Order: sequence, then structure tokens, then C-alpha cells
Amino acid sequence: MSLLVRLALRNLSANFLNVIIGSILFFGTLLFVVGGSLIGSVNRALSQGIIGSVAGDAQIYRAASQDKPALFDNWNLPDLDPIPDFAKVSAVAAADPDVAALVPMGVGNAQVYYGNTLDEALGRLRRAVDGRPRAPRAVVESLKAQVRGIVDVIAQDYSKLALVASAAAVDPRSKAYLRRAASPAFWAGFDAAPDAHLEFLENRVAPILPDADAVYLHYVGTDLDLFRRCFDRLRIVDGTAVPSGQRGMLLSKFAYESQFKLKTAYRLDQIHEALTEQGRHIKGDGELEDLVRQNRTQTREILLQLDPLSAAKAAAVIRAATGSSRRDLPGLLAEFLDTDDADFAARYRVFYKDLAPLLRLYRLRPGDTLTIGAYTKSGYRKEVNVKVYGTYEFKGLEKSDLAGALSLMDLITFRELYGYASAADRAETRSIEAQAGAVAPPRADAEAALFGGGGVYSAPSSRGLDAAQALKSLPRRAASGDRPGRVFTPAQMDSGVCLEAAVLFKPGVAFTPAMARLQRVLDRAGLGLKVEGWRAAAGAIGQFVLAADLILGVATAIIFVVALVILNNAVVMATLQRVREIGTLRAIGAQKGFVLALVLVETLALGLLCGTAGMLAGAGVVRLLHRVGVPASNTYLYFFFSGPRLRPDLSLGSLVGAFLVVVGVTGASALYPALMATRVAPVRAMASED
Amino acid sequence: MDLKPFPTVRARRLAAWAALALGLALPLPARAGAPLDTARMVAILKGIDQRVRAVGDFTSLVYLESRERDQPDTAQEALVYRRDADDKLMILFTEPKETAGQGYLRIDDNLWYYDPTVGHWERRTDRERIAGTDSRREDFDHSDLADQYDPHYLGEARLGVYKVWHLRLTAKPGVDVDYPVVEFWVDEATGNDLKRQDFALSGRLMRTEYVPKWEKVYSPQKKGWVWFRAQINIYDEIDKANSTVVVVKSVDLSPLPENMFTKAWLESKSR
Repeated sequence: MSLLVRLALRNLSANFLNVIIGSILFFGTLLFVVGGSLIGSVNRALSQGIIGSVAGDAQIYRAASQDKPALFDNWNLPDLDPIPDFAKVSAVAAADPDVAALVPMGVGNAQVYYGNTLDEALGRLRRAVDGRPRAPRAVVESLKAQVRGIVDVIAQDYSKLALVASAAAVDPRSKAYLRRAASPAFWAGFDAAPDAHLEFLENRVAPILPDADAVYLHYVGTDLDLFRRCFDRLRIVDGTAVPSGQRGMLLSKFAYESQFKLKTAYRLDQIHEALTEQGRHIKGDGELEDLVRQNRTQTREILLQLDPLSAAKAAAVIRAATGSSRRDLPGLLAEFLDTDDADFAARYRVFYKDLAPLLRLYRLRPGDTLTIGAYTKSGYRKEVNVKVYGTYEFKGLEKSDLAGALSLMDLITFRELYGYASAADRAETRSIEAQAGAVAPPRADAEAALFGGGGVYSAPSSRGLDAAQALKSLPRRAASGDRPGRVFTPAQMDSGVCLEAAVLFKPGVAFTPAMARLQRVLDRAGLGLKVEGWRAAAGAIGQFVLAADLILGVATAIIFVVALVILNNAVVMATLQRVREIGTLRAIGAQKGFVLALVLVETLALGLLCGTAGMLAGAGVVRLLHRVGVPASNTYLYFFFSGPRLRPDLSLGSLVGAFLVVVGVTGASALYPALMATRVAPVRAMASED
Repeated sequence: MDLKPFPTVRARRLAAWAALALGLALPLPARAGAPLDTARMVAILKGIDQRVRAVGDFTSLVYLESRERDQPDTAQEALVYRRDADDKLMILFTEPKETAGQGYLRIDDNLWYYDPTVGHWERRTDRERIAGTDSRREDFDHSDLADQYDPHYLGEARLGVYKVWHLRLTAKPGVDVDYPVVEFWVDEATGNDLKRQDFALSGRLMRTEYVPKWEKVYSPQKKGWVWFRAQINIYDEIDKANSTVVVVKSVDLSPLPENMFTKAWLESKSR
């Protein structure tokens, strides 16, 4: 045996082909170890991100649903059948000893419509004037001053329009409306007839300003108390948590910054982050130069916010910061925001220290009420008022727009927006339909059905209308969200519709058997529910690791199949070169088994040697990556890495897998040449001698 | 209730004279099969605008039924108030309970939306899908077809038993309309539109609309008939599963309170 090993080891260095074989095995093993560790680490980070943020270990949903839960597929909402009464599901799941908690959820999309800046200011002024009780005089005067300031800015802009646009673009009526709205006489008469003045401003002046927009919110409605207890990565950033049992909303910090912040300030933040955290420079960076250009040219949002006093203060601040002698605020602002690498840091400081206090930095502040609307499940449009208590983020996922896409809402508000049609609602719809008796033929037959038999014209209408009677049926209601402090009991929270429920297993519970046991418990209850693991419930993002695993597996398989063929050829060639030596061994009494073992041991030794070297090198690379960290260069990677950097850990599975693959591949590739070598007859050695 | 479905003899005589005067003002009927000239087509559009215009106030109770892909059917009722002389329109939903009190208010070129559950107003575009259905503001309002569009003759066609002129309307330069191109099928016998198709600027067909019921009610203020589309069937051409039916259940021409077309009035109905 020792002779066999000695011979095999001696032969390793005797043939140049072994260098090629060894190199292939070395790099293949290195790739296997590094790739496996990276994928394993991403898998662990991603699972922490998904399980720890919103999905839980698994999700329960109605088995009859058309889709599966997809919590991170943002705007593509899966079609999930509603779970009519979460309390029943909760009671059933509580009987499973593996389950630590069950969190009811419902994901939805909603819109927040914002009028233009003047609409918004007029809305505040109207509420102050119309409100019962009427707002204090100082508040009304301040709001009036703000509206006047906005009207002045629009009037100035409009007067310049004639200089840059064709005559047809200037509407003489708009010009006249602006002239009237900016006149002292108009404002002198405001208090005497506020309604008429507001209507004039709302309908004649405000439409001239084209900066209206809408914000889209992706939210999860849930039991907020339970959610905070179960997902402890959640951290309140601004404001406070929604008081226990009350209605309210927590905006994700990411959505709050990107959608509710003054756009100029948000762009300054993006530049600041790029310069300080990513080591980028404005000069030569197209994206950052574009942000600077946008800030320089889009100053109107700031100008519209400043009343004359604030405008004068802002101008003084900017003149001091830039050393400019300009008098006009638009020009000063453009100059101030035209930043470069040298002056950015100083101007960023000045902006937040001196200018931001003069501005409404956010459209919405913690404590404000937000009006959000959506089309309900019953098909009607629904709007609700909900108080925003603050913003939140998940630790480690602060900058991920995937994790940050979901804002949190209480279950009661979610149910209002979801608009689950009860039996009574459906009966009401059927009753209205039956009374109308409308004919709605299918599209394909419409013309024949509607016009084939004539009957378009009938006798003069005698169908009188008693509008007053119809109006009597209107329900009187107060705007929602006007019952501050109402506390819902856990039973009230639980009793009602949800779309899915996050399952959290107790620590130490094996995932797959626990899933199977929970499914059996739910099946026995006959609620028609299905359990899906976090990976599937996360939607496309959850499938990423599977896809990456698959890609690595296929790539490794291809490499080792190619390696197998190359190794096989190389060992065959090496064996053919050694026919004389093998013949001689056979001539001096070596048996076929000895020759077979010799070639196999020699190749396996090569495999083990180079494979081990590859494993060690791979382990070294993984250690290095762990120390340095792989940076998350975009927000998607931030989510996959569950933080700003991925620090891969060496995976024992990768090492063991690499060892087994190396042994298998080298053994398989040596088998045929070894058998070939056993067929070399001693006479071949003699023949070679000749 | 001042509705007078059977007008007095004097009023009927006046109406007859008015109709005769309008008939004389229009060019002679086109020869069968001959293309309509522009003046005749403009007269047809003016005829539609004139027939549906109420000189005084116009109130109707309207039923809207909407079908959408993957959604249950919805059925709503609304009171529609019009004051055509001032370009004012208000739609106030009365049923079901879910949407009762919601409303739209048109003042000049502004379309406002109000939801009593949140208690504030939002400016909406004129292309707003009214209450999420396939209907638009102009389906409930008077029309200004002759002022907004230039007509082009496409030929004659049949719609069931009705012989119709097929026209193509293109928006006049500088006029803001919901759809820049509209195809119109006009009943040759009455001059009423029975079908229209709305196209986007790209040429994409957006909606097909049928009017299978026209009705008229006598207006003493107008001293003539006010016509209204008593039923409109709308088919969404983008999502073919979606459709809407609008049915006018009843009408009233009584004068409305002077201050009615205001936000305060609409709010007061549900607060």
C-alpha cells in the first residue's frame, strides 16, 4: 500500500498534464466554496430581512385564493380571498404548540391626492374660516398672507410668460383673474364675504398653477400592537407609535422622505449621502449633476411657501452664504442651489440650519391627519381620514425601498378601505339594480340588442322626480377620524376581515415539520386555509435565493462536467504516455488490480491536494470578504444583504460539498483511464524497448 | 313638483313655431347617399346641443351600474343638477349607503369631488371616471359639440333598424376636450346621436357608447322640448371586461335655489 501511495505521489510531479488537471480542480473548488458561502449568507440575510420585517416564518391565507401572498411585490397586489373572521383562525392556530404568534394582515394600495400649492393653502384657509369654531384671527390672517404670497408668485410668473411663450399661451382671462386676486381691494373685501372670495380663488386662480400631484401608498393593515411585539426590528423614527388599540398609521421612513418631503430638500439629502457615504463627486457624476440641475431650476416649490417676511429672511441668509449681491429671491435661490463639490457641505448646512425653519419641509407631520382613498373590494371608491402618528423603519433595512415600501395601518382603517361587501351590502346592490331594471347586453350583441327592435324614442317623459324625497335618504355623517382616543379591544381588532396572517414559530422549532403540523391543524378545522413559507410569501424577492442557488448549482455542474471531460482526457493522455512504465510494472509482476489502484490513487491524490488547496483559498477569500464586507450598491442589494454590507460566513455545507464533489469528479474521471491501464500487456513494454 | 308632461295649448303652439323656425334655419335634408357638407354637419351638431340644453335648471335622478373585471357589480343612484346657462353641474350620490353623500361639483372648468366621510374637496380632472365607472362628466352634462369639434363625413350606416350618418369629429385647435377624436353615429330621422366612439390622440379606441333611449320633457322656460339621453351603455375598450350603464330614472325642470351650486350646499346635504 505504501508503495502504491509513494508511486502515486511521485507521479504527480512527473507530468505537466497534472498541473492543468490540478488547476481546474483548484479553481472549481474555490468557486464552489466562495459561491456557496455567498449564496448561503445572502439567504440568511434575506430570510432575516423578510421574516423579521413583515412576513414572519410563514403566512396563512385562503386556499381558494387565485394567488399566493406576495408581500414584497409592491404595486402588484395578489388576489387573495378574504379571511372573513380572523378570530376563528387565531383560535385554531393557538392550539398548535409550535406557533408563538399569529399576526393578522391585509396589504393594499391607496392614493393621497394633493391639489396644487394654492389648492392646499386655500383648503387650510377654508377650514380656518368655515370651521366651527372659527380659527383664531391670527391664524386666519397668517393663512391669508400665505395665499397672497402664492398669488403674487403666480402673478409674477405669469407676467413673464409673455416673454418666453407665444401670445396664444397667455390667457387674458387668467391675467385678469390674477390681477384681481393680487389687488389690495380684493383682500380688503375678503372678510366680508369669505366664501365668494375663496370660490373665486379656488376656481379661477388656483387652476392656473399646474403643480398638483398624487402620492401612492403601499400599506399593510395589521394589529399594530401585536405587530410591534412580533417584529422587533421595527423602530419608531419620528413621532410616536400608534397608541394601543387606537386607529392610526405609521408611515415608513423611506416613503415619508421620498414622497412627503420638500423635493429640493430630498434631492439635497441624496447628494449629501452620495458624497459622504458613497465617496462620489458631483463633478462628472451624471446623476448628481442632474440633481443639482433640478434643484437650480425647480425653485418654485420653495418660493410658493414663503410669505413676504420669510422671503426677505431667506434672501438675507442666501446673500450671506453666497456673497451674492442679487436682490431677487428666485435668482438668489438658483445661485444658492447651484452647488459643486467645494461648496456643497457648507450650503447643505445653511439650508437645514437657516432656510428649513422658514419652510414646510414635509407636507405632513406626525400628528396630522391624512386622507387616503382606494377602490374597495366592493368596487366603490372609499376615502378615510387617518391620523399619522409617526414614521418607522426596520433596523438594518433603513435604506431599502423594498422593506420601506410598506406603511403600517391599523386593522379597523384597513377594513374600511378594503370594503369587504357584507351580505347586507350585496342585498342593497341587488335591490338598487332590480329597481332600475337596466338593460346591459354583452358587448358583442350590443348593437342588435339595443337597436334591432327600434324603441329608442318614447312618448314625452312623464317620470316626475321628487328630488327632495331622494335627498331625505342621505345619511348624515361626520368625517371619519373624528373620534380621537377611541380604543378598540383585542377582540374587536380580531373579529373581522383580514387577507393573510403572519405565523411566528417558537424559537428552536424546526421550520418544515412545523409548517406541516400547522397545515394539518388548519385542515382539521376545515377553514379552507393554506400555509406558505416565508420564501414563497415574500413573492418574487423570496424566489431570488432559490434562483441564485439554482444558477450557482447549474454553473458549478457545468464547470465540473467540463472538468470531468477535460480530466478524463488528460488522465487518458497521461496513462498513454506511461504505457511503457505500466507494461514494465506488469512484466515485473504487478497485477491488474495494482495498476487500477495506482491510476485511481494518483488521480484522487491530485484531486484531494488541489481540492484542499481550493477549499483553503476559498475559505481565505470568504474570510477576507467577511472582514471587508460586500457593499450594497443599490437599494435592492441593501434588502438582499439586510443592511449596507454583506459579511459572508464560511459555510460548512460548502466545504463538505466541495470535498464530496472533488472526490466524485476526480474518481469518475480516473475510472476509464485506470481500466484502460489494466489492459496494457507486459509485451507492450518490450515492444517499446525495440 | 312643477313638471308639466302635458304642456298647455299655448305652450305647444309656441313649441311648434320654435321647431318650425329651427327647421327652416337648417339646410334642406341631404339627398340619400350624398355626403353631408360641413354646414349641414355643423347644423346637426348644433341641433344636438340645442335639443339637450335646458334653458332653466334641470334635475335628474340617475342610476349607474358598473361591471369590472374581478370586481362585484356596483349599483348607485345620484341626483344630477344642471344649470346650463352658467355651465354648472352637480352630481350628488344618494345610494347605496356606502357612497351616499359623495358628490361632484363643476364650476367653470373645475370638477371638484367631495366625500363626506373625510370632509374635504379635491380637484379632479375632467377625465375623471365618475364614481369609478366608465362614465365621464360630459355624459351627465349638456353638450357643446358644435363649439368643440370640427365634423367630417364618413358615410351612411345602419344601427339595427336605424339609418345613421357616420361622422368623425376632431377637436378644434386650442379647445380642451376629453377625447380629441370622436366618431359619431347620428340618427338621420331625428338628428340624435345613437352611438359614439372616443379615441385618444394616438388613435387608440378608448370607449364605445350607445344611446338606446332618448326622451324629452317639455320646458316652459325653453318653450320647447329638452331632450335627454335616458339610457347610455358604455363599453370600456381598454379593459374589455368593463362596462357601465347609465339610466335616467326621472327628471324635473323646476328652478333650483340660486346658491345651490356651491361647495357649502353639497356639504350641507350630508353633514
